[in-house]
Amino acid sequence: MTATKWALICPFFLILILHSLAIYLFTRGFLLARTELSSFSHCSDLSLSPCSIPSSSMHDFSSPGDHLPNVVGNSSGWTRPAISRLIIIIIDALRFDFLAPSSFFNEKKAWMDKLEVLQKLAAEEDMNSRIFKAIADPPTTSLQRLKGLTTGGLPTFIDIGNSFGAPAIVEDNLIFQLANNGKKVLMMGDDTWLQLFPHHFNESYPYPSFNVKDLDTVDNGVIKHLFPSLLKDDWDVLIAHFLGVDHAGHIFGVDSIPMIAKLEQYNTILEEVVQVLKNQCGPGDLHENTLLVVMGDHGQTLNGDHGGGTAEEVETALFAMSLGNPSTSVASALNSDYCHPDLNGKKMCIGTFQQLDFAVTMASLIAIPFPFGSIGRINPELYALAGSSFEVRNNCAETCGSHSNLDSWMMNYVNNLCLNSWQVKRYIDSYSTASVIGLPAKDLYYINTLYSEAQRSWPDIIKLAVSYENDIHIGINDNTTSALQRQVDAYSRFLASVAKLARSEWTEFNLKLMGFGLCIMLTSLSVHLFTIRRVNILCKSYYTFPCSSFSFFRVLTVIVFVAIRAVSFLSNSYILAEGRVANFLLGTSGILNLWSSFDSGTVTAEDLLFLVLTIIIRFGIESGMSKDTVGSGSLSSNSPGNIGIEKGYSLWMGLQEFLPIPALYILVILMCIYISRSSCWKCLKHFFIIGNILSYILMSVHWVLESNMIAAPEVLQYFGKTFAPRIIYSIGLLLFVLLALLVTVNKNDMFLVSKSTESLAIVTTGMLSAWSPTILILLGRQGPYVALVCVLGAWCIAKLKYAAQVDDGKGALTELISDPTPVLQWNLLAVCLFFYTGHWCTFDGIRYVAAFTGFEHFNIVQQGILLAIDTFGVSHIIPVMSLPFLVISKHQIFKKESSKGFLLVNLTQAFLMYGLITAVTTTLTIICVTIQRRHLMVWGLFAPKFVFDFIGLLLVDGLICVGSLFYY
Amino acid sequence: MKFLTMLQSSASISFSEINIVRKAALHLLCSLSLVAACWIAFRLYSWSLVTHTSETLGLLLIIQAPVVIGVYSLVRQDAQKTSYWRAVARGILGLPAGALVMAFGAIVLGAPIGSRYLKSTIYWSILMSLFTFVPPACFFGSSRVDWHRLLAHFRPKEPLDALVSLPAYGSVVGAWIGAWPMPLDWERPWQEWPICVTYGAVTGYLIGTLASSIVVLFQRPAHIKGD
Repeated sequence: MTATKWALICPFFLILILHSLAIYLFTRGFLLARTELSSFSHCSDLSLSPCSIPSSSMHDFSSPGDHLPNVVGNSSGWTRPAISRLIIIIIDALRFDFLAPSSFFNEKKAWMDKLEVLQKLAAEEDMNSRIFKAIADPPTTSLQRLKGLTTGGLPTFIDIGNSFGAPAIVEDNLIFQLANNGKKVLMMGDDTWLQLFPHHFNESYPYPSFNVKDLDTVDNGVIKHLFPSLLKDDWDVLIAHFLGVDHAGHIFGVDSIPMIAKLEQYNTILEEVVQVLKNQCGPGDLHENTLLVVMGDHGQTLNGDHGGGTAEEVETALFAMSLGNPSTSVASALNSDYCHPDLNGKKMCIGTFQQLDFAVTMASLIAIPFPFGSIGRINPELYALAGSSFEVRNNCAETCGSHSNLDSWMMNYVNNLCLNSWQVKRYIDSYSTASVIGLPAKDLYYINTLYSEAQRSWPDIIKLAVSYENDIHIGINDNTTSALQRQVDAYSRFLASVAKLARSEWTEFNLKLMGFGLCIMLTSLSVHLFTIRRVNILCKSYYTFPCSSFSFFRVLTVIVFVAIRAVSFLSNSYILAEGRVANFLLGTSGILNLWSSFDSGTVTAEDLLFLVLTIIIRFGIESGMSKDTVGSGSLSSNSPGNIGIEKGYSLWMGLQEFLPIPALYILVILMCIYISRSSCWKCLKHFFIIGNILSYILMSVHWVLESNMIAAPEVLQYFGKTFAPRIIYSIGLLLFVLLALLVTVNKNDMFLVSKSTESLAIVTTGMLSAWSPTILILLGRQGPYVALVCVLGAWCIAKLKYAAQVDDGKGALTELISDPTPVLQWNLLAVCLFFYTGHWCTFDGIRYVAAFTGFEHFNIVQQGILLAIDTFGVSHIIPVMSLPFLVISKHQIFKKESSKGFLLVNLTQAFLMYGLITAVTTTLTIICVTIQRRHLMVWGLFAPKFVFDFIGLLLVDGLICVGSLFYY
Repeated sequence: MKFLTMLQSSASISFSEINIVRKAALHLLCSLSLVAACWIAFRLYSWSLVTHTSETLGLLLIIQAPVVIGVYSLVRQDAQKTSYWRAVARGILGLPAGALVMAFGAIVLGAPIGSRYLKSTIYWSILMSLFTFVPPACFFGSSRVDWHRLLAHFRPKEPLDALVSLPAYGSVVGAWIGAWPMPLDWERPWQEWPICVTYGAVTGYLIGTLASSIVVLFQRPAHIKGD
């Protein structure tokens, strides 16, 4: 007997190993990070660059020949400093339409025009402030964006994996350069910064960012430190990172009262900040040469999600204000192409800004070496805002009468751009030698041509500069300007094509590894099929009656369904609609069942109930798409309009708060009935029943206290919120360990069961009762409904048409037992439940809220496990673990007792089929990712889908292995 | 009961060949009227399904319903026992019943619910009922055996079953396939419910009608010979 048992279990482990190997290889090839170079820029590198305009030509008052003028303090950068202090206020997930006036859009929405103070400043005539549309590069998650902003590069998808435990940046970056060049950096707000730059800040006030339920802690902390700091002079760069808008978006969505309140709060804060700065901007004052930048790190969709590459997520805003006296001529010469009348009818222009350019622009303004890996371009408009004022005012006021401000500014800008291009070229060169694959030779050649073309005319510019300095007019002014403009254009072309190349070619797919992985995956599929065939043959030996081979039509249907689902992953639209597709197929299979019931003459209630369940699931999936957070007060989903909470609404809210609890009790009663009905597991039964009832009582206590509807003493509140979930987790763990012990000791003796179906049912029930309380509490208030739907659905699938076919004789029975339809339905139901519980296959589809039931603080292991259980609990753990019920229900229709071996073989069949269905869909996802690897949405959609699928597959394989150890 | 069916089937076989050809021709008339209805909607009112969804569906219904009920009542199976008007009444009763079933099926498979779609959903399900439920209702009446035979066997055994079953299956399968382009992000107006589903159903129905006519006409000699 034992030999057979291990012979049945071994294939599961073989398949698990094959899948792991395949996915490991494929992932190594597909999710390969950009090679990070560990080189750093140094001040001394400047002597290597070809760019050196004799500095005296720039009306520099330091000694001639020294091209590193020390205008402010001990600055020693590559460029001439244009500002002395920099204030960066980051508002996480700032949508473009939060900042831009509503007249720029077709329709005014509730959340627009809330940051009025910035709009007013930007509309003022004196051109020292401006709003930009900032374009971020996907992936648009905060960590990746901060990395991109500070390194000036394009962080790749692989870093998302580190998003939880944000590792320090090893590449050259803005903050490193600031610290290295003696600039004092003050940071306050989101603690992600501190994880990225653990040792670089002079002073920092970090606040935990991970608890998305918390809208205010980070913001209040920032406000507390921001205003005192503005009046101090012990910093050069101040970074303040507000998180409220991001969290409000995640929890409530954009069109909600908390979001608008947050924006209004920021408006007041910014107004005060601007006031303080304006009071201090006189000559010699603290903020004489300060640049204020207010920016978002990325946008967000109306649901508050971000991470992908859609316009809403990528478009964020940047507001810059220079406090020095402005130079109108320069800024206005750089005409923006995106102008519109603002709210008061004044013409207002909005520039465009690539976030890629942020690092180098800031580095050149504040005069530090450009980060080595930066591939951006110094943004002329932003540079003009600050660069014009300082330079010209200090140096040009008396001397440069004959030259226009514009020319002198241009001269400086061209010089900076030359440095910029030289540094990018240096990076590209060292990258293509250091990296394994490098960049395509054709593109590299093109870039080299552009660079040398631009560099060829550089001596002319130097000549021009020299003559300029000596006040010899070699031509008319116009000529100077146009020569400079030509040079700027040449550099811009070069930098633009580098950025384009980097964007298109950055991720280095290792096609060999990917191919290997795919081949192993396909091999594993054939191993899977072979094993199923072997088990089928084994199964036939148990038949005591002449067996007809299983129904061709049913098998064909299953194959067609799996094929349709798998092939649908080739299109991004179907991936987005995966829940609906699965539900469509589930409904179709239900209708086919109904049809075959008609065929056999009796229609059972289960058939119809199953269809009704499909409708319920379908509405759940649809509402899950539009951010369904029960009890959060989200206005977008629950009530139209966004003003006021009516009386009926609060009643509705109350119902939503308390209805889950009766649903929970129904569930408990169902479970108790089921457990107590199976008579033969003695005292153990009471143990499981008590454990579960305790868990469910604690769960309802937790919900009641969490809803804040009942005024309870502080201690009780704390108990309900923190300890109740923890006790539930530990009860679950305890039951699981207990079950494992029992199974290892000796199953049959323990339960005193003679019937093998009975004993299998007991182990399965024990397993489910160990898992379900934890999963339910993590799912939150929707948990009981989900569980009810799941139980009913499972019951329908297990019972379907057996009653009808039981008298049909032996032939029908064999057909029944090897019928794969229930397994398919089980799988589809699991997929539907994944979406029904409000998950979807992107990283913001993870319900971060779940990680904080019972815990206040973030711990990578703890919260990671909780998140995994929440995400995969109801769609992977429960379905796989309850798969034996399908087999049991089939065997219960036998009048006489079937042998244990037969039962196990059938269970193996079910496990194998379930695994095969998951493996086939995952294989198609892998193929689709391989095909679409250059697709626009590969990082936004296909890659997350791939990650979810392969984790799901490995989990299913692992659970099947665990399950087989328990059940066999 | 079985004896009765045997009697009925032997009666239908004993019809002359011309009778069967006539039935097939009448049956083709339904698809012709459907095409004509589309043409009228397009030419006379310049409506199309995309721009005037519910109006076009309504027009199709108004033209198609009398034709289908009339034609299938004319070719009714138990012509000796049931009067023409009785068959018509059966068809009229079958219309809303079938529509309910069709609407339920559509909602199970994910048809949107809401006041915006209410009208077109109702029209669509009545149209589907015309394609699927009304013909057998007129043709067989409430004979349980015949209905069962129709549902149970995809490939019709009786020659005239094909006249009823193939178009019905065709339209259901067509509608099912027609739902697939809906989630695609092409942002075409015809991807809205129930436009592409209607296209699918009509195409399936036309194919089914054509196929059933061919099947009936070609199977006829073989069947008679066999008997």
